[in-house]
Amino acid sequence: MTKNLVLAIETSCDETAAAVVGEGKHVLSSVVSSQVDIHARYGGVVPEVASRAHVDLIAPVIAQALIEAGIDQSDLDLVAATRGPGLIGSLLVGVSAAKSLALVWKKPFIGVNHLEAHLYSCFLEEPDLELPLVVLLVSGGHTMLVAMDDHLSYRILGQTLDDAAGEAYDKVARYLGLSYPGGPAIDQLAASGESKIDFPRPMLNEGYNFSFSGLKTSVINYVRKHPETPIEDIATSFQEAVVDVLITKAKKAVIETNAKGLCIGGGVAANSLLREEVLDTCLKEGWQSFVPSRLYCTDNAAMVAAAAWRRYNQDGPSSLFTGADPNLQLLE
Amino acid sequence: MLILGIESSTSQVGCAIGGHEGVLASAHSSRGKRHAENLTPQIDFVRQQARVELDEISVVAVDIGPGLYTGLRVGVTAAISIAFGLGVPMIGVSSLDLIAYPVRHCQKLIAAVIDARRGEIFYSSYRQVPGGIQRVTDPIVSSPEDLSAELQAQGTETLMVGDGALRYADHFDNLRGVESAEPGLAYPSASSLVQLAHAKALREDFVNPSELKPLYLRKPDALEINMQPRRAQ
Repeated sequence: MTKNLVLAIETSCDETAAAVVGEGKHVLSSVVSSQVDIHARYGGVVPEVASRAHVDLIAPVIAQALIEAGIDQSDLDLVAATRGPGLIGSLLVGVSAAKSLALVWKKPFIGVNHLEAHLYSCFLEEPDLELPLVVLLVSGGHTMLVAMDDHLSYRILGQTLDDAAGEAYDKVARYLGLSYPGGPAIDQLAASGESKIDFPRPMLNEGYNFSFSGLKTSVINYVRKHPETPIEDIATSFQEAVVDVLITKAKKAVIETNAKGLCIGGGVAANSLLREEVLDTCLKEGWQSFVPSRLYCTDNAAMVAAAAWRRYNQDGPSSLFTGADPNLQLLE
Repeated sequence: MLILGIESSTSQVGCAIGGHEGVLASAHSSRGKRHAENLTPQIDFVRQQARVELDEISVVAVDIGPGLYTGLRVGVTAAISIAFGLGVPMIGVSSLDLIAYPVRHCQKLIAAVIDARRGEIFYSSYRQVPGGIQRVTDPIVSSPEDLSAELQAQGTETLMVGDGALRYADHFDNLRGVESAEPGLAYPSASSLVQLAHAKALREDFVNPSELKPLYLRKPDALEINMQPRRAQ
């Protein structure tokens, strides 16, 4: 019987998710109910639509997670939920559900930082990764380079000054007339294109901060001027520019912080080129690396359980007065 | 039978526990949009005051709205989760029924009006019947102007109740035969919820947690403004 069982709930954006994880690494179940089809027709997440869907899905998703894990609520040791950052209306559903279950099942509750959860997605599958590490966290809402000096101890080396990498993907994809979400759509097209256009690499040699807004604009301007360019070539060239910037800065971070390796997390970590480049770079440099399975890159509750278990063992439970914080920072 | 009632559809959040003996304990708070923060500790407090354990609860009743969406969702999610966690059935009651119920002894037409923000109201009307009240019009979204015109056209003796009636009092004050209930009755009460749910529970008028749906009455914003699916330029 697996011990130290955590039921975690994740509702920070448009995925309703629940998972049961033992000791922060044994995933007994991880259920993700995506609303992507609901939001696709709007070309992005509509907050009120997302909040309503979470209310409808929350109990069935939790029930499914418990059934798939083959456990009873009495086996649980902790109930966790993402409390931020994210969409306030969405976050409140997960936090309210988790606090209520903790109360009726007489279990401790803990509120989890979504960014910390993404950092812990690596440890879910590779619990023995050696620290210090550099983690490149890339998603639709965030792009940051984090120095993980020890467990639960981080320094933010740099982050995006404007658009997140995933946001740039979505906006470029929308301009190219591709379906939502834009990341997978561009990734798929890029596989058959050629890298012919030399898009700018913003702030390539300027510290650890990122800027993707200018790159996005230059792609759009290029397409406007050269409408005859095959869309595949645009996708390939754009993707190469994004990944080049991400990898160059991540590499520099590993060297300058004397880290033992490089990991990635977040929705954009599901991107094929980025995954390939991270593994190649680390192999070449002799660093340890870890690229989480795609299902643990995009939003899921298993990573929330992993972070929850670490946090709970260090800091204890959260108060039942805990609310949601849409602007929660990693270092708080 | 013990019922836990949760209501959070207005600026107020509250809960109560009761059953055959009436309401055993209740609490409400209305300070500063802290529904999600306050509700769980409030339930625990009311449980202690009622001197019961939560696993003795046999029914979870909840105010399903209409009301302010964010608060409403906190209460409905908590109620669904507690019912699921305990494996007990649920009863949903409209917020408009809850504010009409305390003035049920009034002979006039009862207009239950909840502030829907954006210059709108949620509205439904009720009549006294033997043993209680009966809803005579379905809950709708309307404007204070439209409701005022409707009441004037009807010319029926009417009692207005609810935070919408208070907020837009200047639209109704001068109408002949229309008066307002006392401000203390303007918000749904968790005690009323437990009492109304008790009557329904005796008839076994239950729903499963998966069947309970909030009464939003308005489409989500994107649909409301008729947002077109996006296309590339």
